Amino acid sequence: MKKLIAFLGVLAMLLTMVSGISFAEGDTIKIGTIYAMSGGNAAIGENILRGINFAVDEINAKGGVNGKMLEIVQGDHAGDPQTGKSEAERLINQEHVDVIMGCHMSVVTDVVAQVCTINQVPMITAISTLDMLSNADHEAYEYFFRLCPLNSVYVRDMLQYLKDASEQTGEEIKKIAIFTDRAAIGQELIRCVELFKDEFGFDLVATVDYSSNATDLSAQVLALKQADPDAILCDSYIGDATLFVQTLTAQNYIPKMIVAKANGFTDPAFITNLGAAANGVASVVEFNPDLINGKEINEEFKAKYGVNMNGHSAESYTVVWLFKTALEAAGTTDGTAVRDAIAALEIDGEFPGGRKIILPYDKIKFENYDLAGEPHYRDNTSASVAIAQVQDGEWKTVWPFSFTDTQILYPAPLK
Amino acid sequence: MDIFLQACVNGLLMGGFYSLMGMGQNVIFGVMKIVNFCHGEMLMVGMYLTYMLNQVFGMDPYLCVPFVAIIMFGLGALIQHTLITPSLGTKSFTNLLFLTVGLGLLLSNGALVIFGSAYRTIPTSYARTNISLGMVNIPLPRLISFLVLIVISIALFIFLKKSTTGKQIRAVSQNPVGAEVVGINTKKIYVLTYGIGTALAGIAGSLLTGFYTIYPTAGASFGFRALIVVVVGGLGSIPGAFFAGIFLGLLETMVALFVSPSYSDLIVFVTFIVILVVRQLIILRRK
Repeated sequence: MKKLIAFLGVLAMLLTMVSGISFAEGDTIKIGTIYAMSGGNAAIGENILRGINFAVDEINAKGGVNGKMLEIVQGDHAGDPQTGKSEAERLINQEHVDVIMGCHMSVVTDVVAQVCTINQVPMITAISTLDMLSNADHEAYEYFFRLCPLNSVYVRDMLQYLKDASEQTGEEIKKIAIFTDRAAIGQELIRCVELFKDEFGFDLVATVDYSSNATDLSAQVLALKQADPDAILCDSYIGDATLFVQTLTAQNYIPKMIVAKANGFTDPAFITNLGAAANGVASVVEFNPDLINGKEINEEFKAKYGVNMNGHSAESYTVVWLFKTALEAAGTTDGTAVRDAIAALEIDGEFPGGRKIILPYDKIKFENYDLAGEPHYRDNTSASVAIAQVQDGEWKTVWPFSFTDTQILYPAPLK
Repeated sequence: MDIFLQACVNGLLMGGFYSLMGMGQNVIFGVMKIVNFCHGEMLMVGMYLTYMLNQVFGMDPYLCVPFVAIIMFGLGALIQHTLITPSLGTKSFTNLLFLTVGLGLLLSNGALVIFGSAYRTIPTSYARTNISLGMVNIPLPRLISFLVLIVISIALFIFLKKSTTGKQIRAVSQNPVGAEVVGINTKKIYVLTYGIGTALAGIAGSLLTGFYTIYPTAGASFGFRALIVVVVGGLGSIPGAFFAGIFLGLLETMVALFVSPSYSDLIVFVTFIVILVVRQLIILRRK
């Protein structure tokens, strides 16, 4: 008897699963999102969701995609890869989402991309920057695409900025130095600078590091002063970033250029804490409200949510538009057809029936390519970051030159 | 040469803080023979107190020092009276270890709940004023902090040496049973010493706010250095802690200058271990 009940139970489950699949072609197109909506990174998830919802509302207001409305189905990975995996499986098998976007942490993205590929559900990550996600080990993740620049591209763009800056400053950069945390973020910066410095003809004259939440950075600043570089590249958490800039002025050393890899330097507390001393510090940004193509959307976004669009919301916004364009090109929600449509996408300047690309580049195309001698797969090869500089207590975009009218403040005054 | 002099000055200015932290720790250890594992967190509480006084009453961070000292003394006395004194009776080292570690966790997480994880600073008009002395440059806030903490160190030293209470504290530290026999109220002395120790940490925190960021775990690295100072300077020795703190500050900057900033922590800890081992060997030989 028990066996019979168990058998019937399994049969019932199978039936619901089968019927579920047959009803998957509903009257909405479902976009699954997997971000940390709880735990320490919940604030980041919220910013991402704002960007996604903004795009979905915009698209639905104009009649949706292929006559269907877009619908967001939220998952929550809470910062944990295992939870990410089960959330991906839930979204695919129970919610029957058509496409997936995520995640915030690259380790979670990795696992979710695997689940998506096995289930033939197309996935685009808006913000996972770890290089390895598209390396040779991930060649077979055919349903996974990446919009944002890679970590090493962030650094390559920082170096490109130093090179291009001479156009405005009139002074060629030759000697560079690194100032960074001894932890993983610092190792990554050092690795990437080593990768590209010769290509740009830069001489790395000093690599100065410290352990997080340092009590004192004066020794580090003296070491930099001794090396006398033309520009300093840094990556630090907020406490050390603040102490660093304070120590620079305390030790009477005003480097001409400081370019940070975001992180603590773009934390809102950075300018609040330092006031005028932050003027002249530059950093990588994925989006800035004063970007030529970003001004308009930022106004509308701010009117709706009361906050500026940030890099995460802008990139997530763009991914929704990519899905829309690919779904229209495919004319169906069939996973394989949509995947092929994403692979064939080529956005030049603006989305069909939509806005210009709001990020600091004007082309989106997913390609296989070589980066610093390593093969990479299905990355947006045109992706780049912008460089913003603190001027009069505000972040102003200064590079790429074609996306802004603000000039570089040189040398950095730090006052 | 000017870089060398500058590094010396930097080391000295920073070392002063390590001294102050170490002395606070040592006052407590000398009397009660317990290691106060929440000493760093007390520094952090001092920072937030200064921050609040500054935000609410618009007080200059240096003007806050006496107030912070008094409040921290009260807090320390209260903790000693209600939590530590009862535990002392158990004579269990692990009990006190967990108690002070737990207190530290409570304080840093409490700060996290109340103030959030934001890194704060107290802006002052003189924060970026530098004083040039020939080849070296001394930031004004660090100089004021250093002078204040020198004064406090000397005052502490005189207090312990000359005043009746100071003599009582030393008596309890040398022989608690004997002290009780001659009529010293040891429990009162315990409350007093823990209060003084906490107040010293609070003062260090208050003095730091002129140029350091305030955040819930700000005390950790200072608390850890206080332990090194105490061990190097000799457990219970106030002048020992003073000089060990200055030594630690100088060692850090000198290693960073002559070797590399990357190795500064490593070499500091290696030196620490070497001193421990050598001292142990000397003690063994004497026996």
